[in-house]
Amino acid sequence: MIRLRSLALLAAPIGVALVAWSCDRQPNALAPSIGAPLAHFQPGNFVCTPVKMTGGGRIDYPPEQTEQNPPASHEYETFGAHVMGSGQQDANGVCLADKGALEWVDHRPEMEVNGHPLNLHATEVTFAEVATDASCSDGAVHWGGKLRVQNTGESDLDFEVWDCDNGEPGRNDGFAISVPAIGYAVQCFTVTPADPTCYLTGGNRQFHPTH
Amino acid sequence: MNIDNFRRAILAVGLVLPMSWTAGSVAAQTARSFGVSVSTPTVNQTATSAILPAGGDMVTNSGQSIAVGGLATAQDAFAIVSGDADYGSSAVSSATLGAVNLLNGLITADGVVAMASSSIGDAVNSNTEGSSLANLVVGGVEVSDAAPNTRMDLPGVGYVVLNEVQTTGDGVTTSGVTVNMIHVVLQQPILGVLGQVTGYQTVGNIIVGSATSSVTR
Repeated sequence: MIRLRSLALLAAPIGVALVAWSCDRQPNALAPSIGAPLAHFQPGNFVCTPVKMTGGGRIDYPPEQTEQNPPASHEYETFGAHVMGSGQQDANGVCLADKGALEWVDHRPEMEVNGHPLNLHATEVTFAEVATDASCSDGAVHWGGKLRVQNTGESDLDFEVWDCDNGEPGRNDGFAISVPAIGYAVQCFTVTPADPTCYLTGGNRQFHPTH
Repeated sequence: MNIDNFRRAILAVGLVLPMSWTAGSVAAQTARSFGVSVSTPTVNQTATSAILPAGGDMVTNSGQSIAVGGLATAQDAFAIVSGDADYGSSAVSSATLGAVNLLNGLITADGVVAMASSSIGDAVNSNTEGSSLANLVVGGVEVSDAAPNTRMDLPGVGYVVLNEVQTTGDGVTTSGVTVNMIHVVLQQPILGVLGQVTGYQTVGNIIVGSATSSVTR
């Protein structure tokens, strides 16, 4: 009897370890493809599920292209951005973000403010919803909140971004931003007429399906 | 097998397997970037740097005007690092600058972008796509589209490596990359007993626009 009890005591941690391993991240697991490139990022094509998107990069806009502009043109934007949501909705049906951040720098000479690059800094990330009809192979998120224009101090401005992870490495990933209050938008419609994301010319977006 | 042998076998498995699972399930990332770094016997300073801390998702830093040790100036520096604190499966870092001036005009550029990206997908990989130098002039010579690890001599000063790329990792479980867009190596001649130059010794480094990223599966 003592031997059997010892056996059980030894087997228990192994069982716990096996269960823990089964819940661990599987590095080779791929997020399910979520549809053909039809009309992604259109209203109504979103679900409120746990989500996380991280990374940063560079966009050479305009024009809407996958290649870098000549460096001397300074026609590019660089950014870092992440968002996380647990799939909770508020009373108005808004899919809430738990946390997030955005730092956006527009290096285009025509966008300079007082001789410096336009710099947008998110002060609050309020919503994050997963696009269900995107061509992004690993996942797509529409999210946003409030930001401040660092150059002028204008703050509490609504912004939204469209965020696409289209596999590794990040050269096929996409990102777009709009700040209506100041008439600012970096949006391309290269993939489909309904998709505002611009291809990254550097960096990476990483979609994380949570479990 | 009697019950004693069976118990010993279970004990061995119970001791060894958990250790291997722990080692195999740890994913890690690093991301750091900076605008300007000067290291000489009298100056040791890094300006506008960002380092992703353990468990962090994003860090940014910026400076409108940078001047380091009378050796380097730059405008509008931004350092941004971001990663995935929970899974450690991606890291991106960037440093951007405008109006760079090194060594009293010996090297100038009006746009520097250093970008490093590492991720875990089917494989681990890293790249420096998105990096660029705009209107770079070295010793009066315009340099466009510098290939990785382009070296140019700077007589009386040392040499400069443009678009310096250093990779790390085995490409299977680990991958990392550092890009230094402008790396000046300051050198002094070593003189022989008759005053002749017998070699050169490095006495300092100036790095402008540096980005590093790495991931470990």
